[in-house]
Amino acid sequence: MRESTVMFLHYITAILIAITGLIHLLANNDPAIGPLIKSNTALYLGNMAIFLAALLYHAFNGVRVILIEMVPDRCWTKWIGWAILIVGVVTYAVGLQVLMVALGLA
Amino acid sequence: MASEEAKDYVLPPEVLEETVRASEELWKPVKKVKFRIYKYNPKKDYAPHWEEHELEVSKGMTVLDALLTIKGEMDPTLGVRYSCRMGLCGSCAMMINGKQMLACQTRVLEAAGDGDVVELRPLDNFPVERDLAADFTHFFEKHKSVKPWIIRSDEVELNNPTGPYKQTVDEYARYYQFTDCIKCGACLSACPTAATDYEYLGPQALAQAYRYMVDTRDDGLDVRIAVVDTEHGCWRCHFAASCSDVCPRGVDPAQGIQLLKRLIIKRKFGYKPHKPAEALPAKVKAESKSGG
Repeated sequence: MRESTVMFLHYITAILIAITGLIHLLANNDPAIGPLIKSNTALYLGNMAIFLAALLYHAFNGVRVILIEMVPDRCWTKWIGWAILIVGVVTYAVGLQVLMVALGLA
Repeated sequence: MASEEAKDYVLPPEVLEETVRASEELWKPVKKVKFRIYKYNPKKDYAPHWEEHELEVSKGMTVLDALLTIKGEMDPTLGVRYSCRMGLCGSCAMMINGKQMLACQTRVLEAAGDGDVVELRPLDNFPVERDLAADFTHFFEKHKSVKPWIIRSDEVELNNPTGPYKQTVDEYARYYQFTDCIKCGACLSACPTAATDYEYLGPQALAQAYRYMVDTRDDGLDVRIAVVDTEHGCWRCHFAASCSDVCPRGVDPAQGIQLLKRLIIKRKFGYKPHKPAEALPAKVKAESKSGG
């Protein structure tokens, strides 16, 4: 994947974090809107799944950028990318499982 | 008649006197300044060290003038690179009191400010060649990697030109400022990303890539995108803008890199900044030759 695609997704996920994060905050802190959002479990799970995916992509890509700047060797750059991808996917799978348990879906 | 015309060009005595007085004033020693100079020969020395020389300086004396005086009178082994002495070649870029500057464009008193010490060392983020001269090999390799020349797909026209390529003033204005780059290395030296990521292409090469990508005569957009759109390419710029801050020619490489990023994203959606310019028709060429 071209670096521009990776970085374009980095910016898109930043916007997604702001939107889905706001819904998450409202759901847990606003007594008026909160129950309304949480009443539709599937929709709320969808929002949280997108929030988690965007957050993990944005955070892990940030770590990848720091690492490839600190270890600029081209061989290491490739390995860092793969290692971060694997850690990110595993973290997402665990996070999704936790979410489903918390929402009583698993 | 001729002598009368020549008379008009002779300066009036009072103006001539004032000019001579101002010139004498400019070169009259006004202050003693201590030069703290970095000395290191990687082929001989185990570690770098500092040497100090004291010099009487005048208002007009540049750091390069001072260095050449020191080299001529005090330390003939001093390694310093210079050429044009007028800020055009970029050879004498170095760290002057911690900031990237051209030695030939910086006056000693301006560098010393209120103090009386001027510290000189080679450019940061560059290997040392000897003393104040940095090794530019890697820098020029990066510059060359972005293919800083006009790329055309019409080989026939390129090899047997029928005329110059068309370009309007507005089209020229898009990249004009980046043509002012003198490759002094000050931008790469000031770049915080280049300080850790030695594979990073750097502000100079990236700004030059943008310069050619928006040149209407060029047809190498995708060829250059493949070079700059990599892990160590334009996306590693965090827009500290230190490069633009230190550029002695007033070029804004940081802006060039941001425009380059925008261009690459737009290209992902199929946008091309221009169609490659055509050669001027023979009729226009003939008219311009005859002055019509």
